[in-house]
Amino acid sequence: MVQSKRKKLLPQILNTLLPVAFAFLIGGIIIAAIGENPFEVYAIMLGRSLFTTKGLLNTLHYASPLLLTGLAIAVTFKANIFNMGVEGQLLFGGFFSGIVGATLNLSSSFQEKIICMFVGMLCGVLFALLPALLKAYFRVDEMVVTLMLNYAMIKILEYLSSGPFREEGSGYVCTTTIKEKAMFRRLNIANSKITAFFIIAVFVLILMIFLFKKTRLGMEIDAIGKNPNFAEATGMRVRRKIIILMCISGALAGLAGAGHMMSEKYKYTLTFSGTTGLGWDGMLVSLLGKHNPIGIFFAAIFYSALKTGADSINMYTAVPKEIVAVLQGLIILFLAVQFIDERYGIKERIGKWKRKEVA
Amino acid sequence: MEFLNGIIYDSIYHAVPILLCVLGGIFAYKANVLNIALEGMMLTGAFVSVFVSFKTENIILGYLCAIIACLVIGLIFSFFGVTCKGNVIIIGLAINMSVSAIAGFILQLMKSANIKLSFTNAANFKIHIPVIEDIPILGSILSGHTVITYVSFVSIILIWLLMYKTKFGIYVRVVGENEDSAKSLGLNTNKYRYLAILLGSFFCALAGINLALERMTIYTNNMTTGRGFIAIAAIYCGQGDPLSCAMYAIIFGIARALSVNLSLYAGGAAAVFDIIPYVVMSLVLTLVSITKYRNRKVRGI
Repeated sequence: MVQSKRKKLLPQILNTLLPVAFAFLIGGIIIAAIGENPFEVYAIMLGRSLFTTKGLLNTLHYASPLLLTGLAIAVTFKANIFNMGVEGQLLFGGFFSGIVGATLNLSSSFQEKIICMFVGMLCGVLFALLPALLKAYFRVDEMVVTLMLNYAMIKILEYLSSGPFREEGSGYVCTTTIKEKAMFRRLNIANSKITAFFIIAVFVLILMIFLFKKTRLGMEIDAIGKNPNFAEATGMRVRRKIIILMCISGALAGLAGAGHMMSEKYKYTLTFSGTTGLGWDGMLVSLLGKHNPIGIFFAAIFYSALKTGADSINMYTAVPKEIVAVLQGLIILFLAVQFIDERYGIKERIGKWKRKEVA
Repeated sequence: MEFLNGIIYDSIYHAVPILLCVLGGIFAYKANVLNIALEGMMLTGAFVSVFVSFKTENIILGYLCAIIACLVIGLIFSFFGVTCKGNVIIIGLAINMSVSAIAGFILQLMKSANIKLSFTNAANFKIHIPVIEDIPILGSILSGHTVITYVSFVSIILIWLLMYKTKFGIYVRVVGENEDSAKSLGLNTNKYRYLAILLGSFFCALAGINLALERMTIYTNNMTTGRGFIAIAAIYCGQGDPLSCAMYAIIFGIARALSVNLSLYAGGAAAVFDIIPYVVMSLVLTLVSITKYRNRKVRGI
């Protein structure tokens, strides 16, 4: 058993690295086409965000919400449920944790933070619950509903932040800045942006490893993902499990939004989750990490390095930073295909070819 | 009366891109390939049509290039999804993201937030039919629309014929319903999947052209705002039948027209009306699912 696992590892790693390599290759061609040196651009992009202490810590800081959204996607995708509403759940959670953080005034800053995060999670759960209930009781396709409700949520928040909750006197649309008590302070290591939120994200990651590997629910996620009818036949209540999974996913997304609000943005603006959106980034992170928490950890750091590197690109080269979004799309595209069959080890495969040649 | 006329005209105006997407997506749905790249294909059509017209000042070339670009995207989608057997949902999302990223990349290179055609305007694309134009309600239904609008409504019937009255339509449905029996008949199942997807990308190109070039002669990034997903919802609601799917697309058009026209009177809360179409589609989808599974007593999802 152990041996077969080890045999599987190499093709799995190759299957993860090849799509990234292909995407970088095509990205390189695009960069070369506009007259820049791709190697130089990539070196600036990854060098600054991974190989300096400050850069690495900043990368970890930006990786924290990605870790959580990656997990949010993994929990549902693993069970073959497609919660595409992570982006909407994140925005909803972020927005209301921001509102609570700006209005609530508790004496203890610890309690204030806890309440803000709790509100974020609650909002995420509520917004995930609707498609979950529809899916479980009326078999409405959750993917279509969540995709559409994302747009509805963006519009609602646009209205709320430019109308009732708008900060008076600011030049652009934003909500009131949250109170200092609700902010995660910078830890002041090497002048970087890293905050305690990263530690919380890692703690949640460890919890999720435990959930996937050691609990009954983790086993059931696997079973439902492989064959829902069989899972139902063996007595699992698939319906209830779907609702639970969507709620976990929503809570993770909401927490990611709250954390992003409290450690980075401090107020809700219309570009709260960036150009591709933290929820969509989470999808790449989860796919790249093969829906495995440890994989997700490395994928989040890698992708965060790309994103922070994008700012360096903007500063030091003439390449628009949208190139990172292009790379992201391409990586996901190539990740959808298995280049090497993971059921066989590399050695057996070569052996097979040899046998064919002999025949 | 003017209000009613406005709503009727806008309903058709907003229904067209969705309708075209729906008509395109039906065949892929029937061939059992879930094509969520509709959104990205429509965006490709919108971007390429405006971009090429902007560069060459030639509208016809813009139309052609948009269709070709969409077919290329369709080929990429089918290559990864059908030939390489990848997960079509993920491929579709990847295409949606890549297209919007590449368009954004080019816009950045041009250092502008949108592409606007200066040599023509949207009024030139409208066809006014004399006499009918002046009849109150009929006038806003029949006259003053763009070429693709008329094409899209004729296509409903064409697609229906193609689906139910031709060999091609039957084969596509067989491939989707039961791949093994299709193979046993000696059908090249991959070929029919490719054709179904390419037909979809052709219609998405038209939808994109209609959305960007014909209606506004302007391209802003991500201007499709989820219309592709709404089209998928409409296809789910109508379960792939051209006539009922088209009906749901038109319902969306009406919802959109209502939201646009009502928001004129709403003042500050206008943004809230923007959510009507999405909420209406979610509700319709739920109702259809409820009626579809009401009499089924099998356990499980």
